[in-house]
Amino acid sequence: MAMKIGEGKFKENVNKNMEDTFMRGAVASAQERLRTRRLDAAEELGNWEEWRSHGEEIRQHVLNNLDYYLHELAENLQKRGGHVFFAATADEATGYIREVVNAKGGKKVLKAKSMVTEEIGLNQVLEEEGCTVIETDLGEYILQLDEHDPPSHIVAPALHKNKEQIRDVFSEKLEYKMTSKPEELALHARETLRQEFLTADIGITGCNFAIAESGSVGLVTNEGNAGLVSDLPKTQVVVMGMERIVPTFEEFEVLVGLLTRSAVGQKLTSYITALSGPREEGDVDGPEEFHLVIVDNGRSSILGTEFQSVLQCIRCAACINVCPVYRHIGGHSYNSIYPGPIGAVLTPLLGGYDDFKDLPYASTLCAACTDACPVKIPLHELLHKHRQVIVEREGRAPISEKLAMKAFGLGAASNPMYAAGSKMAAAMMKPFTKNDRISNGPGPLKAWTEIREFPAPNKERFRDWFKEYEKGGGNQ
Amino acid sequence: MSNVKVTLFITCIVDMFQADVGKATVEVLERLGCDIEFPMGQVCCGQPAYNSGYVEESKDAMKKMIATFENAEVVVTPSGSCATMFKEYQHIFHDDPVWRPRAEKLAAKTYELTEFIVNVLKVENVGARLKGVATYHPSCHMTRLLGVKDAPMTLLKNVEGLRFEPLPNAHNCCGFGGTFSVKMGNISEQMVDEKVDSAEQTKADFLIGADGGCLMNIGGRMERRGKPIRVMHIAEVLNSR
Amino acid sequence: MIHHRDSFLTNVARQLGRSRNTNVKPERNWQFRPQDKTLTDKTPNELLAVLRDQCQLIHTELIETTGEKLAGVLESTVNLYGGGPISIWQDARFEEFGLGGLINSTWPEQKVEVNEWNAARGRKNIADAERANIGITFSDMTLAESGTVVLFSSSGKGRSVSLLPRSYIAIIPKSTIVPRMTQAAQEISRRVQAGETIPSCINFVTGPSNSADIEMNLVVGVHGPVKAAYIVVEDR
Repeated sequence: MAMKIGEGKFKENVNKNMEDTFMRGAVASAQERLRTRRLDAAEELGNWEEWRSHGEEIRQHVLNNLDYYLHELAENLQKRGGHVFFAATADEATGYIREVVNAKGGKKVLKAKSMVTEEIGLNQVLEEEGCTVIETDLGEYILQLDEHDPPSHIVAPALHKNKEQIRDVFSEKLEYKMTSKPEELALHARETLRQEFLTADIGITGCNFAIAESGSVGLVTNEGNAGLVSDLPKTQVVVMGMERIVPTFEEFEVLVGLLTRSAVGQKLTSYITALSGPREEGDVDGPEEFHLVIVDNGRSSILGTEFQSVLQCIRCAACINVCPVYRHIGGHSYNSIYPGPIGAVLTPLLGGYDDFKDLPYASTLCAACTDACPVKIPLHELLHKHRQVIVEREGRAPISEKLAMKAFGLGAASNPMYAAGSKMAAAMMKPFTKNDRISNGPGPLKAWTEIREFPAPNKERFRDWFKEYEKGGGNQ
Repeated sequence: MSNVKVTLFITCIVDMFQADVGKATVEVLERLGCDIEFPMGQVCCGQPAYNSGYVEESKDAMKKMIATFENAEVVVTPSGSCATMFKEYQHIFHDDPVWRPRAEKLAAKTYELTEFIVNVLKVENVGARLKGVATYHPSCHMTRLLGVKDAPMTLLKNVEGLRFEPLPNAHNCCGFGGTFSVKMGNISEQMVDEKVDSAEQTKADFLIGADGGCLMNIGGRMERRGKPIRVMHIAEVLNSR
Repeated sequence: MIHHRDSFLTNVARQLGRSRNTNVKPERNWQFRPQDKTLTDKTPNELLAVLRDQCQLIHTELIETTGEKLAGVLESTVNLYGGGPISIWQDARFEEFGLGGLINSTWPEQKVEVNEWNAARGRKNIADAERANIGITFSDMTLAESGTVVLFSSSGKGRSVSLLPRSYIAIIPKSTIVPRMTQAAQEISRRVQAGETIPSCINFVTGPSNSADIEMNLVVGVHGPVKAAYIVVEDR
């Protein structure tokens, strides 16, 4: 699996996924719960806006000094005995990890949930090498068992599945014989995976934030799986998107707090682990060998552009949890492992407009995403910027739309044309009008009236009324 | 009491489709002691093209609007979204030494109707009367981008005879989004349906909003589905006696 | 080993429109510092109250006791959680807090298996922790706001003790309680800047493990402990 998932076109996916009533109900109720939890967590903190502003300034500072901090991180991790590989592309990253795994003779690879490893298609590469790759995050584990069903949400990847479907998957793949109670399902996963933890050769995790001053890697989970993945196998590989770094533990703390509150409404999640290289002399647990792979894969081409702020993202999914479009179409419609508003901004930047030019239009620009973002990424503005680039720089807009907008430009800006056009509208629409309503409009109105009534233009426009009203002396 | 001179930016939707909202706006403001001026040179604020990515195509309309309104004392408009657009001009012309200062001047004196009544005129009760149960849809641009959150309810709470039921998931967009409503019609339909269903759950007689675009969307869908809820612009409610 | 750093970072700097910076520490002039005024005005007793409230939210039992009663409280808590086998850190604080008798006499007499982490025994420690019903550690720093114990690993203080057993008990000397993660981060950062080597693993543990991955239902106890208890002991 790489960043792109599925083959269908955006509109076909939407039509298909909107038929999935379970998924839509699950998304709606998850959104409501997560939104409430986030708002409660923010309110409890009190000065949330100040925290957001601090989060924003930290992220901006890091991006503007990214070369310095990545250099410092690598230096410090090397001092702790860790290996660092800078990967310009997905292939370079997976190639290095494949070498590490082969060099250790690793057969069983355990993973803790990581979006960037999905993005670079790591599991597939390792499986082709003959490795058994096991996802340990409960949600990811379920998806992996179910023939690699792609994630539909960056924090709750199996959001689109119900417990009966999960029970069926467990029955088929794990000889599970209990009920669809979440507690029983989770316990079964715990017992099955515990044996895997104890016998794994290689542990692979993502990285929520690296800490430059100490060469550390911070992992945030509720299940404790990242802790186990980094505790038990003898070799650990950490894969990080190159922008996921902070200068010191002080900024780490701020961003972790913003992440956990925004993602799940918790003050902190159950496990936050800061790893600084391999185990020390005399330690019994923890990896003997520690590799950090820092991935660019298109990110650097966003730096220094009008889209740079998208790299502030801390992958909390708050924008996804408030998006009214995601609510109805679900994560799989986006054709990307990054769905929702953040996905609609990021995916075309990493994957190009050829495959993803519809995504920036999958928004009403309602700005709920911008409002929810804990590091103040102006998401709706970036969606709008994409549209501008698609129209002006890429010239990819449909010709009919271009002509209509050109006409709009002329018509709206010129007073005589606007006045004439708006005056004529009522007469022109007369054949389609019944009881002051248009139910089956012509041309561009058709798409509107397929769904809703359209009001007939006023026979007397407001401006005509006002002219008469003023002549009559107004309210005097 | 010396009268406040208000220059009215009526919006193209009201001008062409919702003239009654315009009339109500004039009558409410006059009753509150404002002198209304309506420059006939006003056109569309440019938002439909702008939001679709046609920034250059929309700039002429924006300049026309700046030139038309820049000498006003205050500009008032019965739309949160269009007021937001007037405030956006200064960013769109950020690198234009001629138009940026003019856009900044315009932004500083532009008000959405309810914001103007509550924050500038300092009036919280306009003496309106309307009997029935109402629910309120807070439109996205008005609450999130313009930041006008409380003024509409401040005024509506004081309408005699009106009782309010909260709209479930009020924060969710109604699915209008300008060209989104036709470009992504199928998604828009689901969004507006949820809004209509939410309104129906409240058993309200009226669904009130402060943006013509949203109301055209919600109202148009309600009519199509034969729902008996009356969709009203807040100016019409405040003008009810 | 560091691979491909130069080409990678030269490109990053170029995209940022400047030459590469490897040695001039960027100034961090933050305009906002909300953490400086979050819970910083609380007395130790008020912080304990914050911790107490938070424990209700994180499915963690909070027991408060004195130095004299600690051994008895720990013994009964262990019984309540189903007894041994027990895994503990090799930690001088067990003696300091008067738990030597319980660990070295009482439990062995009761045939409760206790395994103290001991580097000399290698991976046997992990197997013991995996078999353990209860893992017990001290808290090195305790974050009142989030109900978090901070654990600094070392050769005698294995990571597995707080992760692998079915239940986890943290002994929290009251003096370790600080307002929030801010203070722990500042302490760790201070050590880094003083040139000290920080532990290769620092764990911030907040209650038992949990997951909401199945239909958003909270399940307590996934990969880590299913139950957690904190015993706060007066030490000043």
